Amino acid sequence: MATTSAVDRLRSRIGHTVAPISATVEAGHLKRFTEAIGDPNPRWNTEAPPTYLVALVPASMHLAEAEEYGKGWLNGGNRFEYVEPVRVGDRITATARVADVYEKTGSSGSLLFIIFETDYVNQHGRTVARLRGTAIRR
Amino acid sequence: MQVGQEIPALVKHPTTRQLVQYAGAQGDFYEIHYDQDFARSVALPGVILHGLLKAAFLGQLVTDWLGERGTLKSFEVSYRGIDVPGRPYRCRGKIVKVDGPKIELEVWGEDPDGNRTTAGSATVLLNE
Repeated sequence: MATTSAVDRLRSRIGHTVAPISATVEAGHLKRFTEAIGDPNPRWNTEAPPTYLVALVPASMHLAEAEEYGKGWLNGGNRFEYVEPVRVGDRITATARVADVYEKTGSSGSLLFIIFETDYVNQHGRTVARLRGTAIRR
Repeated sequence: MQVGQEIPALVKHPTTRQLVQYAGAQGDFYEIHYDQDFARSVALPGVILHGLLKAAFLGQLVTDWLGERGTLKSFEVSYRGIDVPGRPYRCRGKIVKVDGPKIELEVWGEDPDGNRTTAGSATVLLNE
């Protein structure tokens, strides 16, 4: 089965870190984000709302090899841990790694689960948040 | 703050326009969120809400309730079912544990039929 080798190749990526990505929190982007989610809280004029970091820097690595498996992506879940607030002007560096890759077979067919973990560090070198995400190919 | 207490619900009214807005703001251009034909080609009923948009709705539920009384420490969501634009999305939550200033909440999102399409939890730390 062709997909088996895709799974093996993806499993070999477990523990691997992707090159860090940095971005600055801009007031204009933050405004577009809060308008898009429909949250009018004035607090978000200067501070990032709970899920903003996924928009600042990619939350997961949609591994190209995984697209050989199944026909579509689904987001299985996200877990955020917050250490300190993120504000306009902060320079955030995200470092993501593949934490796990596994296959599950159920009544409706096989699913491939890819678990990503991302650490977000600010310009002072302090971790501001962590994210664990589950991407599913079906 | 008492265990079992429900926090004020938040009802959102997502539209296809909002999905496009969110796709742009997050930079997630996966076609299942704005291209009806593509969505159907991968066995979906049509375009669906981004999981992370539903997470943002649940984040708003918690931060609206908490206000300036404390800090959100962790927030977890798991996507159990799909939601489509044009149907109200009801965000709800209740207190499940009180440990001094640390409060744990169960949060969830429901479709108009009452199905919990998103389930999650949040931990907040109240100010001293």
